[in-house]
Amino acid sequence: MTFEFKLPDLGEGIAEGEVLKWMVKEGDAVAEDQPLVEVMTDKVNVQIPAPRSGKVSKILVKEGDIAKVGQTIMVIDDGSAGGAPPVSAPAAPRPVQPSAPQAQPAPPSQGSVATPATRRLARELGVDIGKVRGSGPQGRVTDDDIRRSVGGSRTGPGTVAVQQAPPAQGQGGPKEELVPLRGIRKTISERMLKSLQTTAQVTHIDEADMTELVQLREAFKGSAEKRGVRLTYLPFIIKALVPALKEFPYLNSSLDEQNGNIVLKKYYNIGIATDTEQGLVVPVVKSVDTKDIFELAGEIERLADKARRGQLTLDEVHGSTFTITNVGAIGGVFATPIINIPEVAIMGLHKITKRPVVRDGKVEIRDITYLSLTFDHRVVDGAYAARFTSRVIETIQDTKRLLSEVL
Amino acid sequence: MIEADVAVVGGGPGGYVCAIRAAQLGLKTVLIEADRLGGECVNYGCIPSKSLITVAKLVDKVKEAEKYGLRASGVSVDFVQMQKWKSEVVSRLVGGIELLLKGYHANIIMGEAEVITKDRIVVATANGREEVSCKNLVIATGTRTSSLPGLEFDGDLIIGSKEGLELKVVPRRVLIVGGGAIGLEFASMYQKLGSDVIVVEIMDQLLPGSDPDVVRVVHRKLEGRGAKVYLKSKVLQITKTRSEAKVEIETPEGNLTIEVDRVLVSVGRKPRTERMNLEKIGVRTDARGYVTTDNKMQTNVPGVYAIGDVRGPPLLAHKASKEAIVAAECIAGMPSAADWKVVPDAVFCDPEVASAGLTEAKAAEAGFKVKRSRFQFAALGRALSTGEPEGFVKIISNEEDGLVLGVQIVGPEASNLISEAALAIEMGATVDDIALTIHPHPTLPEAIMEASELAAGRPIHQLKT
Repeated sequence: MTFEFKLPDLGEGIAEGEVLKWMVKEGDAVAEDQPLVEVMTDKVNVQIPAPRSGKVSKILVKEGDIAKVGQTIMVIDDGSAGGAPPVSAPAAPRPVQPSAPQAQPAPPSQGSVATPATRRLARELGVDIGKVRGSGPQGRVTDDDIRRSVGGSRTGPGTVAVQQAPPAQGQGGPKEELVPLRGIRKTISERMLKSLQTTAQVTHIDEADMTELVQLREAFKGSAEKRGVRLTYLPFIIKALVPALKEFPYLNSSLDEQNGNIVLKKYYNIGIATDTEQGLVVPVVKSVDTKDIFELAGEIERLADKARRGQLTLDEVHGSTFTITNVGAIGGVFATPIINIPEVAIMGLHKITKRPVVRDGKVEIRDITYLSLTFDHRVVDGAYAARFTSRVIETIQDTKRLLSEVL
Repeated sequence: MIEADVAVVGGGPGGYVCAIRAAQLGLKTVLIEADRLGGECVNYGCIPSKSLITVAKLVDKVKEAEKYGLRASGVSVDFVQMQKWKSEVVSRLVGGIELLLKGYHANIIMGEAEVITKDRIVVATANGREEVSCKNLVIATGTRTSSLPGLEFDGDLIIGSKEGLELKVVPRRVLIVGGGAIGLEFASMYQKLGSDVIVVEIMDQLLPGSDPDVVRVVHRKLEGRGAKVYLKSKVLQITKTRSEAKVEIETPEGNLTIEVDRVLVSVGRKPRTERMNLEKIGVRTDARGYVTTDNKMQTNVPGVYAIGDVRGPPLLAHKASKEAIVAAECIAGMPSAADWKVVPDAVFCDPEVASAGLTEAKAAEAGFKVKRSRFQFAALGRALSTGEPEGFVKIISNEEDGLVLGVQIVGPEASNLISEAALAIEMGATVDDIALTIHPHPTLPEAIMEASELAAGRPIHQLKT
């Protein structure tokens, strides 16, 4: 008896995902819970397990294609008898997360909303219009959407050609290599652009004296090791952030343009920008105000490890209210991070170096770092952001105060 | 032996359009027609029937002329002249088609084609046999009227639609078997020309498959003018006398016998594929004999295409013509395909009926959250001022996003009004889009705007319900 396997509900507000990789092929035998397919959503890759054992009789979505939640992506023959209908057995898809509701049936549709001429353009360019995400109202697919989906938007006829920049579209061949924009890279590319296009970003940079924090960390290292965690500076910075975010709540908010509200969040979930082979992912440490540095250190380590192995769950990448990006270990003086929308601010941590500084009229050698804060000027002003940064730095530099925060 | 890139068999609205498009695209094209260019539509269907219907409507208008303050005495129907005028219209169109085909250098062969293999056709012409060798074959042979057992056409008392348009005299009393589109057009037309009309339909409504609200308007008008309509009924037996037929009808209320001087049978059509040798060349057909194709009009046999009626319902000239273009373009290697969302249809009964897209029932069946909005022509200035205030425009939209899913119109010029609806659906318009588009006043299309305004929740010329 065959069983239609539909893309299950992937969690909050996610309607579709890109099929990154099939781990089985047609004809393969699969065991229940065996990972079948890797699907990339707008935040994370998810491995979807087989809902039951059987044989893969048909794979209906190609790698690189977008599948909608509720869409049949494969047919499994479980070998059982029974004159069951071929492909419409009521599939009970396995939710990826225990809390996820069952897949909903795809909404009724008369096919893509697109003008007849756009539909013809899709045929001419060899694009399956059903797979193009429309950018217009009601998901309307435009000529540009079609062109974009084959790579490179073009201006339409009638546009006066002004000094054309050399085309980004490469030729391939010995001098250029074409790497398809896929998966996490594609998501990053879309999100970064959206962030810059939809917010008013300003970066404020300040200097922090880390000398005492360096000592403090040394002091805690031993006890951290006993607990089996590696203690970095990050948990301390997170703990220094919490009182500042409480005092400056607009930096722990998001702007709800549609309803004209600024949403101040009374919970503190910190996204940690993490470099992986596939690209940047941002796991989230939840409720940092309720955790001590050891718990934070342990959680950061666990999440970073999962991120590198591509095993983060959706829950682990959702819901951050403020993000930290730490490039200190790699080098550089400072950078201007891009806000992880819909948040309002992101803080960059940079390399700690010994530098001569003037203290009480004397030159001293201290551990100095730069902190960069990119904020959305639509929501907060420069003075507010500067005061917030000062507050964070004060806590970092005042060991006594920090101690009361970290434990 | 004539060699061609494309041989099109059948010169109707499918075939001749296909030949023109193929020739335009630089393909060496042969069009084979056994009877007359223009096919059923131009010669025996759409065009002649609409010519006669136009005159019938005029007669009807004149009959009530006094109402409008017009005294027209001594008006009478010259059926022979009417037929002559109709034939002139037809001839003109046939001539035009020939001119176009020649102008684009498509080769016309008049004669009955017989497909020998998929790349070889033998044509029996007036001058003997002609052989055509073709790289691609397009089957555009259409359909022919089908009769019922016991109701075989005799060309005199028992006739089909073709003969129905060529009568020399207006029948006194006519029985129409089949209350579909063709049957109703004849019913309305004969009624206006003075015939007593009886319609027998086996289903439980006229125009089976159409929106019941729409059908009710037509049914009421037909009966209001004195026609008898028997639903869920059928003809049992016909006894012919010299100039009359005694017809026994089975109705839910019991059997009855009526005497008529004509029986017009319009109970459907069947594919005309006898000489296409489909089985031998391996072309697949469905259970009813219609040729099956993909959306590029290609059959299961590469290089063999089918377009129009021979592919199956809806049997509509405009659908055939669009399919013809797809086939020609695909043969020329273009990425053409039948991807339209709607095939609008129009029935020229009284009042006219036209539809595009989903009906209320079909939309609900498809799972849409259906919003239905109706605007009555009785509330429209132009409908009143043309003296045709019957009927309505009904818009079916998706409650969630306002997308127009379907439009049904019954009323004056419904056939001319439906194109706006078809365009709206193809363009993915919402009811708001139509409501926000200025429609000139006073015109009939305002009814579509008014119905859209109601759907959008802000009607002006009707009260919110």
